[in-house]
Amino acid sequence: MAEPAMQLIGLKKQIGSKLIVKGLDFDIQPGEVFGFLGPNGAGKTTTIRMMVGLIRISEGDVRIQGKSIKTDYKEAIRHVGAIVENPELYGFMSGYKNLLVFSRMIPGISRERIDEVVKLVGLEKRIHQKVKRYSLGMRQRLGIAQALLHNPSILILDEPTNGLDPSGIREIRQYIRRLAEQENVAVIVSSHLLSEMELMCDRIGILKNGELISIQQIQNTEEDAPTEVVQIDCPPSYHEKAQRLLQERFGVTAMASGEKLTFPITRGEIPSIIKELAVADIEMHGFAVERKTLEDKFLHVIGENVIE
Amino acid sequence: MSNFFQLVRNEQTKLYSQLSTWILLGILVVIVLGFAIIMRTAEGIMPYEDETWKQTLQEENQMYAEIDPTDPNIAINNYRIENDLKPEGMSAWGFLYESHYLTSVLSLITIIVAGGILANEFRWGTIKLLLTRPATRTKIFFAKYASVLLFALTALIVLFISAWLFGMIFFGLGGDGSVLQLKDGEIVDVSVWTRIAQDYGLQLVKLAVWSTFAFMISAAFRNSALAIGTAIFLMFAGISVVSFIADKPFAKYILFANLDLTQFTTGYKMIDDLTLTFAIVTIIVYYLIFLVVGWVLFAKRDVAGH
Repeated sequence: MAEPAMQLIGLKKQIGSKLIVKGLDFDIQPGEVFGFLGPNGAGKTTTIRMMVGLIRISEGDVRIQGKSIKTDYKEAIRHVGAIVENPELYGFMSGYKNLLVFSRMIPGISRERIDEVVKLVGLEKRIHQKVKRYSLGMRQRLGIAQALLHNPSILILDEPTNGLDPSGIREIRQYIRRLAEQENVAVIVSSHLLSEMELMCDRIGILKNGELISIQQIQNTEEDAPTEVVQIDCPPSYHEKAQRLLQERFGVTAMASGEKLTFPITRGEIPSIIKELAVADIEMHGFAVERKTLEDKFLHVIGENVIE
Repeated sequence: MSNFFQLVRNEQTKLYSQLSTWILLGILVVIVLGFAIIMRTAEGIMPYEDETWKQTLQEENQMYAEIDPTDPNIAINNYRIENDLKPEGMSAWGFLYESHYLTSVLSLITIIVAGGILANEFRWGTIKLLLTRPATRTKIFFAKYASVLLFALTALIVLFISAWLFGMIFFGLGGDGSVLQLKDGEIVDVSVWTRIAQDYGLQLVKLAVWSTFAFMISAAFRNSALAIGTAIFLMFAGISVVSFIADKPFAKYILFANLDLTQFTTGYKMIDDLTLTFAIVTIIVYYLIFLVVGWVLFAKRDVAGH
């Protein structure tokens, strides 16, 4: 395995007598999209702020490309591009001037690189307008542009889809995936939107009360055939017939509640189920496949959302 | 080093991209204009006519003598009458000198800039972008401080140019602005540049100290209103504080007692046993304390959420 892009080693943060982050240990690999999931107050933002040196580390360390953010700040941070919380930029300047100002802080960024990044995030037409006239989506893009200026090998995005409309979210998602797959950038994303994270990330670390309670590998492939949950909407008078058919043909037990029949099934069997049910003249008003979502896993591991 | 230069350049770009900076400089120019108009009006009351100027000076002397018979102006006026040196009246150079009274306005706008330059980054949230770059906090702190001093210098140049221009418009270019002064019982001719260097210089000491103070509060509390407010309050209220406690033994260690260096040129000291050296050392000590406290707090404190 290659050298990890980022390593968290026994990372702790204490404020007063309260331990906010209680010792995080994990690695993030190049080309990986790592999701940081947790309810509000779990310590996501605190951890991210420690990763970029905005707040001091009480104990442990963060190593970026092997360089400690504590003792080798300049060398470590030059590999990182970040948006911490909202993409706040200078509203009184144009988007281009904002990028120009940030480019001067890191040696070796040419004007061509600025143009390239602007094109990458699709802001060419509005880049010379003042940022205060930008919509949230445009600010988010400009935020990503400033984070990418210096070709970082690690991109940290805190709540990147916050406040974006669905098409904006999809764009950011595709963009993040492309960066990871084509440019081998390690992307760290934090969010409390589970469905979002599931679509975007390779791995998700679940944080609760400052502790990493689980790391989930996300399978985006279909061969794995995860168990799906199917819900059929049909009148109760057909329930018995349908339940019997499902039990006999597929060996599953369907639960009835109101108008709905719910049962688990593997993905490959779905087409034949539909066919069988239709042939058996069962009046279906709806057929919905609900993946066993991360949300279920999430709620399962998190339990009640209690901020300690 | 080039890195530091780029940071200062960035600060200047940001500063002059803000409308408020231009408004502050605009206010300065308007105040110079107002001052010129007032001076022009005042001068018209007692002009020095070619035929009657000696008589005018004698009338002036009578007025001075009623208030204070040892007034140095009496000796100067007598010297003029004896040597047939007609007073020049106000000129562009003279007005440029008189405008040193406006350096308090200069201090005010510099304090506003100094109080905002760090605190605003926190208010805007852009501090997070600034501090996640390969530039240390120390460098950013001093780049911002250098930027404040550069702004003060720019504003001083604006003050100079506008004062000279309005002076030329309202008073003309006549004369070189030199004046007669009584020094050790002798009348000497002092050029306008000597006077400008001295009186502006003494005022700029105050400007530097108070804007550094505002900068420190801005770095420590990350709140521009607090920084600007306390700096302006202390700048104006500090002197009166000293007059209350002037008889206490610790009074001479207070910054306000030392800050007004004109007390050593006029001789009206706030506390009798003050010396120029002592005052300068005290000012430097306070100045360094402000700078170091601001720097340490800025470099060490966490940048947490809102």
